Amino acid sequence: MTGAVNNTPLLTKKKKKSIFKILWDQKLLMLMSVPVLLYVLFFNYYPLWGWRYAFQNLDLNNFKKGAEWFGLGNFEWLFGREDFLNSIRNTLAMSVINLIVGTLASILLAILLNEVRNRGFKRTVQTVTYLPHFLSMVIVVGMAQNMFLTDGPINNMLIASRLIDKPVFWLGEGKYFWILVAIINVWKEVGWNSIIYISTMTSIDPTLYEAASIDGAGRFKRILHVTLPGIKSTFVVLLIMNIGHLMEAGFEIQYLLGNEQVIDFSQTIDVFVMKYGISSGNYGRAIAAGMFKSIVGIILLFGANFVAKKLDEDTLL
Amino acid sequence: MKKLLAGILALAMVLSLCSFAVAADEPITVTVFRGDPGDQPTDDNKIYKMIEEEFGIKFEIEFLAGDLDETLGTKLVNEDYPDLFDGGNSAEKLINAGALINLLDYISEEKTPNLYNHIKDLLPQLVNENGELFIIPNYGINYNAQIQNACNGPAFFIQKQVLAWDNYPQIKTLNEYFDLIERFVAAHPDEGYEGFAILCEDWRHFCLINPVQHLMGRPNDGEVIINVTSGNFETETFIDKDYAKPYYAKLNEVYNKGLINPDTFVMTYDQYIAKLSSGKVVGMFDQTWDFGTATAALETAGMYENTYIALPLVYDESYGFGVIEEQYLNGAVPNKDRGFGISVSCEYPERMINLFENLLSDEWQKILQWGIEGEDYYVENGRMLMTQEQYNNRQDATWKMANTAVAIWESAPKKQGTQDDGNAWAHSDQPENYFALMSEYDKAFLTAYGYQKPADFFNAPCELAPYGEAWQIDTAPIADANQDFLAVQDQWLPKVIMSATAEELDANWEAFVAEIAPYAQIKTEFMQAEVLKLVEQATN
Amino acid sequence: MTAVQTQKKVKHPMQRDMVFPIVNGIILCILMFVTLFPVLNTVAISFNDGIDAVRGGIGIWPRKFSVDAYSNLLSDKLTYNAFGISVARTVLTTLLNLLFTSMLAFALSRKEYVLRKFITLVVVMTMYVNAGLIPNYLLIAKTLKLTKTFWVYIIPTMFSCFNMIVIRTYIQGLPEALAESARIDGANDMRIFWQIILPLCTPVLATVALFVAVGSWNQWFDTQLYNGSKKNLYTLQYLLKMKLATSMQSANAANTSVDALVNATKSTPVTVRCAITVVSAAPILVVYPFLQRYFVTGMVLGGVKG
Repeated sequence: MTGAVNNTPLLTKKKKKSIFKILWDQKLLMLMSVPVLLYVLFFNYYPLWGWRYAFQNLDLNNFKKGAEWFGLGNFEWLFGREDFLNSIRNTLAMSVINLIVGTLASILLAILLNEVRNRGFKRTVQTVTYLPHFLSMVIVVGMAQNMFLTDGPINNMLIASRLIDKPVFWLGEGKYFWILVAIINVWKEVGWNSIIYISTMTSIDPTLYEAASIDGAGRFKRILHVTLPGIKSTFVVLLIMNIGHLMEAGFEIQYLLGNEQVIDFSQTIDVFVMKYGISSGNYGRAIAAGMFKSIVGIILLFGANFVAKKLDEDTLL
Repeated sequence: MKKLLAGILALAMVLSLCSFAVAADEPITVTVFRGDPGDQPTDDNKIYKMIEEEFGIKFEIEFLAGDLDETLGTKLVNEDYPDLFDGGNSAEKLINAGALINLLDYISEEKTPNLYNHIKDLLPQLVNENGELFIIPNYGINYNAQIQNACNGPAFFIQKQVLAWDNYPQIKTLNEYFDLIERFVAAHPDEGYEGFAILCEDWRHFCLINPVQHLMGRPNDGEVIINVTSGNFETETFIDKDYAKPYYAKLNEVYNKGLINPDTFVMTYDQYIAKLSSGKVVGMFDQTWDFGTATAALETAGMYENTYIALPLVYDESYGFGVIEEQYLNGAVPNKDRGFGISVSCEYPERMINLFENLLSDEWQKILQWGIEGEDYYVENGRMLMTQEQYNNRQDATWKMANTAVAIWESAPKKQGTQDDGNAWAHSDQPENYFALMSEYDKAFLTAYGYQKPADFFNAPCELAPYGEAWQIDTAPIADANQDFLAVQDQWLPKVIMSATAEELDANWEAFVAEIAPYAQIKTEFMQAEVLKLVEQATN
Repeated sequence: MTAVQTQKKVKHPMQRDMVFPIVNGIILCILMFVTLFPVLNTVAISFNDGIDAVRGGIGIWPRKFSVDAYSNLLSDKLTYNAFGISVARTVLTTLLNLLFTSMLAFALSRKEYVLRKFITLVVVMTMYVNAGLIPNYLLIAKTLKLTKTFWVYIIPTMFSCFNMIVIRTYIQGLPEALAESARIDGANDMRIFWQIILPLCTPVLATVALFVAVGSWNQWFDTQLYNGSKKNLYTLQYLLKMKLATSMQSANAANTSVDALVNATKSTPVTVRCAITVVSAAPILVVYPFLQRYFVTGMVLGGVKG
């Protein structure tokens, strides 16, 4: 069997083998991977010819006109608009806040759950906290909108506890918008997102905890020195992946929760594109914005991956 | 030899005629797209069965589930057209893309008298510049008398109990209206009433931005006001004009008296409906169909006195615009470019035309709008009537899936108004149905005013202007400017209303007018040109 | 590596310290309450009378009990057909996706594989580039002509990069010795994958299966795009979405008579939306406990060192 002896890295280093020999040896690995590669090339890359629309002015409202080459016209239009630049800022701001708050919350929940000894309780908490993941955004935002009315429960509670003396206009003032989005996202997804950390923690070698205890480490020391290092690689890989997704702050939540009073803070790139690209039939703009997002995403991804490599952390690529 | 040839030719002709006759009745399945959501009819639906038996036509219907523009966009790019294509509110896209056939090639007085008579009076208004017609309007073509039981469109609304409390006054002007609301709320300090609500969500922002034209005595032309008396049809956006400011200044005054809750500017449609349904909102500007669910909720809860009545308000003389006569109700508006078109990929356009021609006959119209006599309605002394159960059935979603052809009917040409024998074409318009189902409270309320129906609060509908109603004009060519035009209003008008002082109000208003000016100008120029184009077409 | 180790019960020696567990318990209970409330609220509204529900203010118990919101959904024969289609697509997609994803994950977990870096790069990038709706649509509809077929649910969703990384990382965590000894016994890569690695991956596969299944089950957009005219191919989510859209439509369509509306809207968008959530999430919640065992222990996400 060819693969049996030749596949170990040790041997490939010792003998200098011809590239053809290596390829032949790895034919089964290729059989397993190349079909998927072709699949991905076909389904994910081939349609990218559609990016040419970014340089055309295809008007979905008027097909007879056809698409004409437009150079960088779509990009010029987008970047010439103050509210598009604003929407980039909003997108990044909400992404970063969500990433930080969301990650911390799910790690915290995972740690708290990891410290629970009663299996039944642990499972119940876990099941209950991930349930909101299955609620639609419309329902969740609808509830939040009722909670945050000027005469809603949140304001009433804050007034009763004398933290504020007159109701806060949560939904009508832009400065609260980002934080509201973060709260709603955490509320909806903290359970679901913590699953990945909980599982990672279950795979931490129990003897490490024993050793730490014998060394006299208290609960917090054990969390600090065993649990957190145990989830570090998960954390780093997820972080790199999510940094690549920073241009995706979402559409639905901002679209549903936002209103014209807070639009300077609520409009993300996707919402902007919906208004000035899709709805008005200006398809080229939508594609141009999508292309911009993809490119920035990839740059961020490589940047994050590079930094991780320099820090000698786990990397994605 | 010649004879033989002639014989063969004759035979061939007979055969081809035969085969043509067969082809005409050959059972076919027609693909249909509806630009609205809907329920799939059941396989044994009784009306579709009748259609299949009579015309040999079965339907395979696709309804809209997601975003209309996106869905149409994909179909158009792929040139994947159904046979019957209803583009919903974006049907212009189908026409612009060349997806539909010109129906006038198939419609004539001899071959399709029903269709011909249906559109002949309106034809100048319906066709495009090249004299082509792609879509027969699905609504708005009336036969005999138009039936108007209530105002179904825009108006100022007020809870009926408020008028009753003040001994049924005639409220005609903006000042009278807000004065009454103020007195009513002041007289009920512990009930938690909210004086006036303004829905601003998304496309429903017409509650915020549309009232001024009505206060100036015009029916609904969307965001422009048109001078129909001068003969020149001068068109302008009204929101940036001096005569718009007093309305928002009035709202500001009302806001500062605490009669408007700031939440009103950020609330969603669901929250708005919930508020109205609680019976705590005294008044609002809206369109009747927009808050039907709230009215239903109030009635179901037995809170009839909290339901709303529509009032046609205008500016009074003190505003300095002279005496304004209200004109909220307009003549029936043909729903231009809305309904079924036949796509270029349809293989049997004649049969489609033939289908609509036949469905437009009196017999089929009764079947489509009323159902089967004896099953779905009964006739007494020449009047078409329904029992309570039959009436309820007709509104029941599950029943409709099995017993009506609503999916086809809604987009097909139809008769509205009054039948030749005096019955209403639409079962819901039939006065007997309308009044039999009216609550005792409403009957007493109208009686107190000496009125028969809610529409009696209004002047009679005026004659429809030759351009129709200007909100129908497709603004796609100025899509960006229009988007910004609306966005500036959505952002600034609430700020104006929430101004703390008169100086702030003035400053906000000036800033608003300055910011909207460029977009308003584009909109005005575009609309003026379109209106003139339509008028010219209609009068030629 | 721990994943293959059986879980040892570890007694923490800090049990005399009771403050932390109590505080922790309280925090988690509050969190449960906060997250459970919206769920119970949704269920309560779904069982409430439609017209009554638009007035809002319903807590965790229906104010006016009614099953109208469900009866419209469940009385339609199409619902059952759509349920079947949804189950079929979910099962098939999950199986095929697991197969292809884990196969690639295995190949890319092998450090000596010459194409490893290249394929990883190509595949990871797919998470960040998106051609947009119309080119994707044309690929499926025009190039592949998959519209109006069941296969349009399966073929475009046979691989997912995120899950590949999850599985790859898990495989990299498995002890090298297992594959090594098999290799010495003369097993080729295919056999190592099928007979050694895959069985060890059950936990991570269960986790990924849930991710894929939930994604496939919740999908409605592909039905709308490709199979909107074929009611026999409707998926449950699409049908439910359509029911909601219809109910929103009819809430507006009431024209002249309000009484007509009272009859027409025994269920309103408010209740229908909640009933739909319950109906579509229920099957997943039923399956979940069976997977939870693997689900909790199956995930180890890490990367490549260096």
